[in-house]
Amino acid sequence: MKKNRTMVVVFLAPALIFFCAVFVYPILRTLVMSAFHVENVTSSLNQWRYVGFDNYQELMGTSLFRISMWNLVRIWAVGGVAVMALALLLAVILNSGIRFKKFFRAVIYMPNIISAVALATMWLQYVYNPRFGLLTTFFNSIGLTSLASVQWTDTVHKFWALLGAYCFGMVGYHMLIFSSGIEKIPAEYYEASTIDGAGQLGQFLHITCPLLKGVTKTNITMWSITSVGFFVWSQLFSTVTADTQTITPMVYLYTLVFGAGNTVTERNAGMGAAVGVVLCLCVVAVFLIVNWAIKDDDLEF
Amino acid sequence: MSSQHHRAHVNWKKEARLIPGYLLIILWVAFTVVLLGWVFAASLSTTKDIFMGNALKFPTGLHFENYAKAWSSQNVSTFFLNSLGYASISTVLLILVAAPAAYVLSRFKFFMNRPIQSSFVAAMGVPMVMIILPLFGVVSQMQLLKQDWTVRVLMVFLYIGINVPYTTIFLLSFFTNLSRSYEEAAAIDGCPPMSTFWKIMLPLAQPGVITVSIFNFINIWNEYFMSLIFASSDRVRPVAVGLYGMINAMKYTGDWAGMFASVIIVFLPTFILFIFLSERIIKGVTGGGVKG
Repeated sequence: MKKNRTMVVVFLAPALIFFCAVFVYPILRTLVMSAFHVENVTSSLNQWRYVGFDNYQELMGTSLFRISMWNLVRIWAVGGVAVMALALLLAVILNSGIRFKKFFRAVIYMPNIISAVALATMWLQYVYNPRFGLLTTFFNSIGLTSLASVQWTDTVHKFWALLGAYCFGMVGYHMLIFSSGIEKIPAEYYEASTIDGAGQLGQFLHITCPLLKGVTKTNITMWSITSVGFFVWSQLFSTVTADTQTITPMVYLYTLVFGAGNTVTERNAGMGAAVGVVLCLCVVAVFLIVNWAIKDDDLEF
Repeated sequence: MSSQHHRAHVNWKKEARLIPGYLLIILWVAFTVVLLGWVFAASLSTTKDIFMGNALKFPTGLHFENYAKAWSSQNVSTFFLNSLGYASISTVLLILVAAPAAYVLSRFKFFMNRPIQSSFVAAMGVPMVMIILPLFGVVSQMQLLKQDWTVRVLMVFLYIGINVPYTTIFLLSFFTNLSRSYEEAAAIDGCPPMSTFWKIMLPLAQPGVITVSIFNFINIWNEYFMSLIFASSDRVRPVAVGLYGMINAMKYTGDWAGMFASVIIVFLPTFILFIFLSERIIKGVTGGGVKG
């Protein structure tokens, strides 16, 4: 037993050291920091000035932060509904007995392994390009010249262009999660209901959907976690620093703490920490709501 | 005879029922193929032809020199080798750090076992913004951002750190599924527990180790935010951040063919991994852990 204890300590120590250095200590320090006025992110502890909840109040009163939160909510809600609907639809089709399932599945998942910078560049410089882009060429070839001349990346369309491109890349991952749930549903359920005269839609609504509660929970949680970290796509789609069309809280934090000071007058790393805490609370809130709203404990198969 | 006829009839009905599904899937897949195919074609074209709309016709032949130019003059080679170094070293070290921890957590009962597992799972949902500021503060106070080699070591340290929870949890399920009879047999033969792990258990968990290493490699290769903040000079930058800088530069130089070539160079390593290992990767997304 003594030997085992040594082994447990020796084997766990490296992982725990990394974990404490990269997660535990930084999380605690961010929490504390959000209650202090910190001139610069590199300021040492004795230069911090305690301000209580002032950072949060100031943050809520900053219109740029409010805009960034609103953008995040739109990305999360609108993009979320679109991605989940498409992912579920594609997962159902892939599992309906079509040929080349593995090939199609691999191609749909593939954007997930491409660097976001590369993928965003492909969209920006090819799909949305007003000179030789895919959309322009396509709409011109079918005669819809009014649609062909749309400037997809101007201020009016930019947000939706960004969201569309981002969602395209995300569908594959969530499709796989749904697909794994569908594969676990026993085929007898469908056979029995076919004998009882159920149609495809009926089977989808009364068998597939209820049995996918667990994976839906996973999907919503994962979607929320990735949405909160929305950064690269904004940076690539924005033409100026702090572009109100594309700014997200993470971009706001970046400009506030690390970036150019032309849009943000005051540099306060404490406010940056408060942004982190707010985003963390959003994830926790979504997680709790999802777990409270979707109960799948009584479904075992 | 009649049964055969019957079967064929049912199959046709089934295929007809699937047509809307086929159409949607083929449309989606075709779009993906066009997107990647066009960018690949453009990377072998010239800027002039791209703007004339002739990227797919190659009126002046294939221009492989776009790649040569991007590789040598645009720093792509530096970024590429940096990323290759960061991703391979971190991936190997991650297994050395996470596999022993996962093994101990899967095999031994001790009072911190459950809390450690739960904290690791919770850490997978922590947004980067929650940890980045203290990390940057501490690191710059320690003067670690001044020299290239300290930045490189730091990058590897951070890549390992942020991926430890996911890697550990992923490997945990593999060790849990291994039979205890291997350890019992090894103990009877007089093999001490620690060497039993390195000699017998880790090799047995090889499928899980390979899958999680592929994920780690791809994640580290594509990582953006942390590299942007910590790797501030071109000499230590990985591809994702390097590519972003290059795209901004291209706006002024106007070398679009070169830009598309750079994009292809950046995405080629993970793409090749995916072509050969797509089945394994797809199983890993849904099988082992919750994170992609």
